[in-house]
Amino acid sequence: MKISLNWLKNYVTVHVSADQLARRLTMAGLEVEKTSSVKGDVIFELEITPNRPDCLNIVGIAREVSAIFNKPLKKPQQKKVSIPKQKVEIHIENTNDCRRYIGALIEHVQVASSCEWLKKRLDAIDIRSINNVVDITNFCLMELGQPLHAFDFDKLIGGKIFVRRAKEGETIVTIDEVERKLDPSILVIADIKRPVAIAGVMGGKETEVTETTKNILLESAYFDPLLIRRASRKLGLTSDSSYRFERGVDMTMVGGGSRRAMGLIVNEAKGTIKKYADVFPGKSLTRIRSINVSLKRINTFLDTGLSLGRCVKILKKLGFLVTTKKESIKVSSPSFRGDIKCPEDVMEEIARIVGYDEIPLSYPPVAVSHVKPDSFWNFKQKIQEILLGQGLDEIITYSTTSQMMLEKSNLRHLPGIKILNPLTKEQEVLRPSLLPSFLSVVVNNFNRGQKDLRLFEIGKIYEQGYEKEMLGILLVGNCYEDWRISSQEPIDFYDIKGIVDELWTITGLDSTYLPIKDAWLLEAIAAAAINIGEDNIGFLGKIKNQILANWDIKQKDIYFAQLDIDKWYKQSSFSRRYQELSEFPAIVRDVSLAVKKDIHFHRIKEIAYRHGKDILSSIKFIEQYVGNKIPVGQKGLVFSLVYQSRQRTLREDEVIDVHERICQSFINELGATRR
Amino acid sequence: MSWNFQEISSTVDAEIKSVHDQKGLEAFRVKYLGKKGLVSEIYAALTDLPDKERPLIGKKVNDLKSKVLELIEKKAQEIRQQKEEDSSSAIDVTLPGIRRAQGHKHILTQTIEEICTTFEKLGFIIQEGPEIESEFNNFTALNIPIDHPSRDAFDTFYVDVKDPQRKDRNLLLRSHTSPAQIRVMENNKPPLAVVVPGKVYRPDAVDASHSFMFYQVEGLLVDKDVKFSHLRGLLMAFCRKFFGSKIRMRFRPHFFPFTEPSAEVDISCYICEGKGCSVCGRKGWLEIMGCGMVHPKVFEAVGYRKGAYTGLAFGMGVERIAMLQYGIPDIRLFFENDIRFLKQF
Repeated sequence: MKISLNWLKNYVTVHVSADQLARRLTMAGLEVEKTSSVKGDVIFELEITPNRPDCLNIVGIAREVSAIFNKPLKKPQQKKVSIPKQKVEIHIENTNDCRRYIGALIEHVQVASSCEWLKKRLDAIDIRSINNVVDITNFCLMELGQPLHAFDFDKLIGGKIFVRRAKEGETIVTIDEVERKLDPSILVIADIKRPVAIAGVMGGKETEVTETTKNILLESAYFDPLLIRRASRKLGLTSDSSYRFERGVDMTMVGGGSRRAMGLIVNEAKGTIKKYADVFPGKSLTRIRSINVSLKRINTFLDTGLSLGRCVKILKKLGFLVTTKKESIKVSSPSFRGDIKCPEDVMEEIARIVGYDEIPLSYPPVAVSHVKPDSFWNFKQKIQEILLGQGLDEIITYSTTSQMMLEKSNLRHLPGIKILNPLTKEQEVLRPSLLPSFLSVVVNNFNRGQKDLRLFEIGKIYEQGYEKEMLGILLVGNCYEDWRISSQEPIDFYDIKGIVDELWTITGLDSTYLPIKDAWLLEAIAAAAINIGEDNIGFLGKIKNQILANWDIKQKDIYFAQLDIDKWYKQSSFSRRYQELSEFPAIVRDVSLAVKKDIHFHRIKEIAYRHGKDILSSIKFIEQYVGNKIPVGQKGLVFSLVYQSRQRTLREDEVIDVHERICQSFINELGATRR
Repeated sequence: MSWNFQEISSTVDAEIKSVHDQKGLEAFRVKYLGKKGLVSEIYAALTDLPDKERPLIGKKVNDLKSKVLELIEKKAQEIRQQKEEDSSSAIDVTLPGIRRAQGHKHILTQTIEEICTTFEKLGFIIQEGPEIESEFNNFTALNIPIDHPSRDAFDTFYVDVKDPQRKDRNLLLRSHTSPAQIRVMENNKPPLAVVVPGKVYRPDAVDASHSFMFYQVEGLLVDKDVKFSHLRGLLMAFCRKFFGSKIRMRFRPHFFPFTEPSAEVDISCYICEGKGCSVCGRKGWLEIMGCGMVHPKVFEAVGYRKGAYTGLAFGMGVERIAMLQYGIPDIRLFFENDIRFLKQF
């Protein structure tokens, strides 16, 4: 909102510079966003918070200034207007929609261009001058905060005013020459035939005051804020009037504003006030709120040492009715301060006028809290630590995706959660999987020639009934850069598996990997489900070629893993205990076998541990190969069995014994041949 | 059979020149002196020669053999010397080291952790809350009535899930992290001090300074005698710690429906140092957080006895702070995840 310093000075003395004034207003809660010098005046642009509709006018600002600088407030003065006995006919359909309506009929006005002083005032704050009558309504709006409207009375059919809901199908052409469709959710001002204004928002073109107008009806009213707000949103129409009605105008100023405008019109445009009516159904509803607050409470809460006198002075200057009893203050808020409801509101008034700079700085003593620390947060941090150490970069992606991206990623079967009011396609649905987000990042980077990516994200996926945290990992491109090696190996399945394996060190759980033949997202040749015990907590493998083709990604060796860390966390135990270091030497025996190609290594491990009982301490995989000397349809496996006891040195013969038994089992159970 | 010993000799000379290593030398030796080598071949063929020619050829092949042996010996020595030189001569230390690069934590994660750690050190406990929330937690309990103009600042995304407590309303994506405070207060008795980081969502058109999804960190401290001075002191101290002691700060009255008194904290603009520029909208100040004393209506909503407690609350946008702190010009960079961006931090 713009205000002119020269105009402000009509209502309060300002003895500081414009910049100082701006600073003080800002520090009292009326933020001055911009100060500009224009033609011998200074214009302030203020940001007024929604709880202070009383500051949406210059007298309201002047009141604040008077409280801040402890100067008297000069309310607008004019000759008293005589109110005629004859009544204007006003009908209010629903008193909840309109709690006060004042109509004044002024006859024989001379509508002409405004005189200099009026034009100057409006021009300073960028309000276009129309004619003296319209300008006066705008002047009073900006001076007192009361929206007013002038109708050409002769154009009001029947000479009566109806404040009612629009009927289905009614329309109106507003003063901006746009025809608008109305409905019963919208409040209108109407004559006996048709709507003549959208109440509180904008007047109709047909009844607007022009140079030919002879008689005017001046409206000053209080409309229900919610009604005005909804109508304004629905029609996509806002005005200086609707802005103020939405936030709540001052019920008392409805009268004051009307009288001010009547006086000015009679002065500037001549005319006689013939009829008048003040319909005030809301009168009985206006309560005076009284709030009690002790000086002790104020000073304890704000941590200040303010005197009773100072507090009282501030509140009085702000327009409150104040009485004191011993060290306690009883405050009655004026009609223009509907935001004051509780002692905290009163204390804020005092604090901001005193200035927050006067509030001391102190540290709160933080008592030991009842709130339990969130160990899930720490768990996620450990995961991050490990992955960062593995050289992966963390990404953060949007939680939403589009239907199209889900389709491209073969995720049609997972609907996610729909967003009812998205602004763009990318906001259509909360993602049911991390894959589309990762693929977007891949595309972004590939387009810039960045083809070596090692990425992870801890982010949520969403399904009806829950949101849960998942870990996503993606690898593509080369392993580490090493100029000593002439040919670089590209990333493969075992790279991503190795990264996931590192994660188990956090929780010491046993994980198993089971091949998946018909995964939605992964190629069957390299796809595994990750299980902890019986529970599946995720998957990893090579992304399906079809999906990559859908995304126009030419590179085909891209590896992805997704783990349910909520589930993993619930299974985990974090206790760590020292394990005695074995003093006794280990005996290592290498084994070289040829087995059928479809025998998986975990079966070797299972057999070895089954027969190895207490003395087999670990199995180290060495090599897998085909070709020379390996029969067709088979593969060669080389691995070491490490025998070690915690209690004693193992004897050669007992190791040989167990070892042979194990090897024999390989032959018997797996049809392996020793090499 | 005849051999042009002249030619052979020249060839031998030429070939030894192109021997550089043990392997090459061995190949050379085998070619001439091996079981199937040239010399053996000639020796074998001697018996078939006429008696007249035998002594002459014999001498020539012996000479050849000696020559080759000599060349091999010389070359072997050369190779040995080179090897010694190589192993004792220093390597080029300016060649790149083989890096097993550490991964990079996302700069937003780093910023969140820095903010949270600062408060953790003061005794605040980190908590998280769900992103999908009820209208009650996001608005009503925070004293924001559904149709109030102050709600404009909080326009929201609604999701296709019904509110289990109110079948006629849908759930929404939280527009600030404040709902988590309601949860903390409903589930815990004071004293409590928590800091809540998390994603929030607002239907804003995405541009250089707005994103429909971003991060906030919210703080809440509730106890028997929390004062307004505690709020001012705590947040001024946080700013000094986070932005450095040279920064100027402003603690300015403002309005939030869920706090009273309310304030906003501004820091002097990094770029123009308070003079006014395009970054700070010519104000010279950058607003970085909102705060205030918890409104009694909020305590009422969570079921705390009237007047029993006071509290302070604050909230800040993480992206904004990171952009100011690190000079990042466009909020979209955080979510594009170009690795050249990720690897800078």
